[in-house]
Order: sequence, then C-alpha cells, then structure tokens
Amino acid sequence: MGVRTDQKAATRERVLEAARDLFNEVGYDETTIRAIAERAGVSVGSVFTTFASKAEVLSHVMNHRLAELYAELDRVAPLLRGGTADKLCSIFAIHYEFETRRVKLFLAHIAASYNPNNDPGVTPYGRNPRLSQMLLDVLEEGVRKGEVRGDLDLRLIIDTLKASYAWNYRMAAAAGGNMPAAEMSAVMDKQIAVIAEGWKPR
Amino acid sequence: MSFVSVNIESATDSPVKLTRRALAKQRTRERVLAAARSLFSERGYEGATIRDIAQAAGMSTGAVFASFADKSELFEEILTADYEVIYAQMTQASRNAKTVDEALLGLFGVAYGFHVEQLPLLRASIAVSWTRSEAAERRARGDIKHLFLLIADALQRAIDQGQLKKDIDVKLLAEMSWDVYVANYRRAVYDGWSVEALLARLSDQLKVIFAGARA
Repeated sequence: MGVRTDQKAATRERVLEAARDLFNEVGYDETTIRAIAERAGVSVGSVFTTFASKAEVLSHVMNHRLAELYAELDRVAPLLRGGTADKLCSIFAIHYEFETRRVKLFLAHIAASYNPNNDPGVTPYGRNPRLSQMLLDVLEEGVRKGEVRGDLDLRLIIDTLKASYAWNYRMAAAAGGNMPAAEMSAVMDKQIAVIAEGWKPR
Repeated sequence: MSFVSVNIESATDSPVKLTRRALAKQRTRERVLAAARSLFSERGYEGATIRDIAQAAGMSTGAVFASFADKSELFEEILTADYEVIYAQMTQASRNAKTVDEALLGLFGVAYGFHVEQLPLLRASIAVSWTRSEAAERRARGDIKHLFLLIADALQRAIDQGQLKKDIDVKLLAEMSWDVYVANYRRAVYDGWSVEALLARLSDQLKVIFAGARA
C-alpha cells in the first residue's frame, strides 16, 4: 500500500471510531458530521470524501462492530455445551452482552434503519446473515441428534427467534438505555423455551 | 377546553361568535396535523421541523405552538388518532374469529392493511419509538397496552375453549406474537412485501410460536 492509501485507511478508522463514541455518548441525531470530524482530528471535507452521509457512517460503524462480535463468537462457538435450546440461549446472551456495552449506539442504529428518508447505503436492522447461519448450524445439529423434529422449516424458526431477539431491545429503549444484558437474556431464554416446546419430537 | 364553559355561561350573548372561534381553532389544528403528517412521512421525525410544518400549513410557528406544546405532542396526536381508527376494527376482527390463529391474523391483518398504506409514517413512528424520551415512552405505552390486552384476550378465549393448554404463559406468548408482527414491517419497508405476503409469513411464525402450546 502507498502512503496515500495508508493515510486514507487511517482517516477512515479515526472517523469511524469518533462517530461510534459520539453516537453512543450524545446520540445519533445530535451528532453532526462536523463534530465527528473535530473529534477524529480531520477536516469535514475528508469525512465527506470517505462517506456519503451520516447514515452511511453509522452503517459502517455497525458493520465494524459486527466483525468484532463475530470474532468473539467464533472463539466461543466450539465451546458451547448443552442441548439445542441451551446453545441458542448462549448465542443470544453473547449478543445482548456485546450490544449493551454501547446500547445507545445500537438503539440509534435500529432507529436510523427505519427513518423514511434513508439513503440506500443503510443496512436495515435485522439483516444479519452471520447470526442466521450460526442459529442454523445449531438447529441442524439438533435435528441430527434427534432433539429437533426433522420435518420443520428451520429458517422459519430462525426468523421467529430473531424477531424476539431484536424486539427485546425495546426493553432497553423503554429503560432509557439502562437495561442489564442479563435481564434481556432471561426473557430471551423463556422465549426460546416456548419455541423449543414446539420443535420437540413427539 | 375553556371555551366550552365560556360558551355555556354566555350562551345568550354571542354563541355564534364563540362557535366560530372554536371552529377556527379546530380548523387550524386540522391544517397543522395534515401538514405535519405529510412532512413526517416525507422527511422522518427529526427531518421535519415545526417551522417547516408551519410553512406547509400556511401559518406562523407561533400559531402552531398555540395548538401544540411541541413537536413530540404533535407527532403523538397523529399516531393516537390513527390508533383510534384501527383499534375498534382490530377488536372486531378478533372477536369474530373462531380460532386463536384466526383471531390473531384478523387483528394484525387490520393493522398491516392500515400501516402498509402509509408506510413512511409508520417508519417514522418506529424510528422514534427507539430513541424517544422517557416521558414520551410512558405516554406511548398506554396505546400499546390496549393492543396487548387485545392479544391476551384472544389467547385467554382460546384457553377457555380448549384450543390452548391451560398452563401457558399468556403474557409471554402475546409478546412473542407482537414481536413477529412488528418485525415483519422490515419486509414491507425494505423488500416491498404486500399485506398478503406479510400475513402469510405471520401465519407461519405464529405456528412456530404456538406449536408447543396447543391443547
């Protein structure tokens, strides 16, 4: 890589880091591109040469974070023990644990993905192929072990689990961001148990 | 509300004038609400300022503030009015149903039909719901509570009629039904799903949720 490309990558990193912290500390709507540039120590113009809009900055921040989360999960996944439902509980608990570290950032991401005047560069909330794949692996293993019936549409089960997972963040929103991850996981565990009751072989 | 009592006390003096004033006030409110509805749909909640709304309604910002305390009150008034329109229909759809699946698909179907028609406003309201103030959250929860009771009511009837097991956690199942219902709006927003497609998916998701709860 040339010096120019190196510099560009460094600017990008600094902008994303500054944006991540500002979105979480003062809120997404309250954060201006100027404030991001200031904290990153770069010019407003160089933020705009890298990103088309604030919404795009947010999308990149979130993708960056997901990469971190999945690096963590890849380490943990082989160590998960217990039955199918237990494993699913653990995977979601890790997600809640991770996202509640910067919960306002996460809530801002959800809010922004529903904003009616979004530009096309925004990743919609809930499109998370890595999570879906991880859940599918666990459920397929459950089928092989005879814990989960073989005649079910596993993707539909995943879709239903993810809906509950995603909307449990309403608890954090309602509490103004002060919601321990453990409380959200506890609700998720009960929801998983409800669905697991239906997938048992009979 | 003060003009009501003034009107009664001075009915013999100038009832026409006061009624006119009340009417004018009512018309101003309606004009503001209509302008706000279209701007919130177009630009989202944050993107529409009171100044824009006043301008679109053809009046001063002061005149808007005479009717509404702030932007969040204005936005809530729009949502509450919509909610009142569909709540009665949702109740009706649920009560007319024979099975729990029919009841839930009936009541959520009313909501899908209504909101998919005005998707941009729904998007703005979902966006706001994630980051609003605690006071606004408390006020909004009143409406949601009624909807939850409607769902819980349908589940309780299904238990009484022997469709669902007696020991199920009604509140938890009602919440999960709600979760899949709202989560599906993402498909309408990003993938252009129709009401029929949403209902077909919802029907499958409800089967997943209730599979272990059937009597």
